[in-house]
Amino acid sequence: MSRNLRSVRGWLVLLAFALAPCLAAEPARDVTALEVSIPVFDPGLPKDPAQYRELEVFPRIRKIEAMFLPFVLRDTLEKSREWGPVRVVPKPDPAAELTVAGTILRSDGDTLQLRITATDASGRVWLDKAFGSTVTGANVPQGTAAGMSRFQPLYDRIAAELATARDAFDENTLAHVTDISILRYATELAPDAFAGYLKTNDDGTVELLRLPARDDPMLARIRQVRGAEDVITDAIDGKFRELHSEIASVYDLWRAYRRKSLEYRAEDAQHAQVTANDAPRGSFEQLENTYDNYKYSRITSQEMDQLAVAFNNEVGPTVDRMEARVAEMQGWVDERYGDWQRILGQLFEVQTEPEKPRSGTGETDH
Amino acid sequence: MRSAVIVLLCGLACACARQPVVDPPPPMPSKLSAGLPADFSGYWQRNYTRDEDINGALEAAYRKLERSLPQGGPPGAPAGPSPRDFNSLVALARLAEKITRPDEIAIAQTEHEITVQRKDDYTMLCSFYDDAAKATVNPYGQEVCGWDGKDLINQLTLPGGLQITNRFTVSADRKELRVFTIVASSTSRVPFTISRFYKRYDRLPPDFHCIETLSMKRVCGIGPLQQ
Repeated sequence: MSRNLRSVRGWLVLLAFALAPCLAAEPARDVTALEVSIPVFDPGLPKDPAQYRELEVFPRIRKIEAMFLPFVLRDTLEKSREWGPVRVVPKPDPAAELTVAGTILRSDGDTLQLRITATDASGRVWLDKAFGSTVTGANVPQGTAAGMSRFQPLYDRIAAELATARDAFDENTLAHVTDISILRYATELAPDAFAGYLKTNDDGTVELLRLPARDDPMLARIRQVRGAEDVITDAIDGKFRELHSEIASVYDLWRAYRRKSLEYRAEDAQHAQVTANDAPRGSFEQLENTYDNYKYSRITSQEMDQLAVAFNNEVGPTVDRMEARVAEMQGWVDERYGDWQRILGQLFEVQTEPEKPRSGTGETDH
Repeated sequence: MRSAVIVLLCGLACACARQPVVDPPPPMPSKLSAGLPADFSGYWQRNYTRDEDINGALEAAYRKLERSLPQGGPPGAPAGPSPRDFNSLVALARLAEKITRPDEIAIAQTEHEITVQRKDDYTMLCSFYDDAAKATVNPYGQEVCGWDGKDLINQLTLPGGLQITNRFTVSADRKELRVFTIVASSTSRVPFTISRFYKRYDRLPPDFHCIETLSMKRVCGIGPLQQ
């Protein structure tokens, strides 16, 4: 696997330099179609592990959902044709044109609640809102099949609100977002060369002070590097797509079982209410009934725990493989990033260094 | 106003008169010094030769009930516990017999949790996080654990004043386990108590290793399966 990756790396570097002339100047683009970066969601796990049972949070499954659900949002945004490339990434990138981050607030068979925050490259928050949807057996959207989210209307609402938020800005503002995005990337990569273009305010937002020349050679190199990184990011995004397609049917099964468990729980509650006053107080029948109500409620919870283990048994190896591959690719990007930073720093030094006096000119101090 | 106070006093008096004579609950320390004080893990099989006889336990509880009654009642009044008192005690004994019926239990123990798996019943759960016991709560009751020295105590509180306490004591050589169960209710003057004994045994490693999956149910194979 690592040999394959090495050869891929080699090709990518060659590709990046081959494409250099094309990438040097940014081609004209529709600035409303911003590039969207969706980091893996925050699984929303309670800080205190003792609360997992109480809140019925299965931590391993939440972590899987945190990688799985962003893909549904990515697909929805892509299908809306309102945006440029939409990518799922392992961690947030502050230089992304638009970052759509999510936190899972609640996820069970019937209900999904997400907090969605959309922030552009200037740090301006477009959207910060909780979205929730409850889908019971009776109102399952038609045509829902494995891999298609029962909560598609929720993702559609997020996509619509993002588009509405975007439409509130004029093209000039959006063009500034793209400029800030590339300059933030450039500042991280070659801080000396790009000092003075941006200003970070006290509230963390970033302001554009001035723009480099369109034919600035350093900026052309930066675009070249970003283009190469995007190729890897697309490959990572592809891994999330694979994960989605591989575990979608099992995930649907898990949700179906969870839904069934909620139904059992409702039946338990109904049974407890019906039998509450059947037997005389203090009789064996009454005591047994009280005990059995607790017992069956606990057994339902334990069956859910077992299903969570079964889900993890089935998808765990796929997730582990995918995580390892993404980490490998991300590691490669991080490693190259360091190299690029060093090379660009040296280039900038060479370009800006005052010419040294030639040796043997005979200049001496008098 | 005066009548309201009288009603309140009468209410309190009645409540005190009905107060059952229950052994004080075992101490439930909220903090653990370091780690779990004893190791209960393993498979345990009922040792019927050491078990307390249910009828003997009922007789002992009945005698306790007799002693709990006020001495020297009015002349002509029937001596001893009322049929209602007796029936309440028998109800507790029957429930205790049902709860303590499993002849095998499997105890798993980690740094934070102890689970006691019993056939035909729910798995008892004791959670300890941040050096404190965490309760398991659902709409039908609450379960919490604690330690009394090296004894593990699991206390289940159910609606209507029903309380079931299990005290687990493991021998120093970890070969024997004693489970002392107290079933108490606000409907009975005295609790019912019974001891069950278990011997530890080792399970042979299985020929097949199985894991549960969602889509294929149980999947088995020779050699360890990936979890």
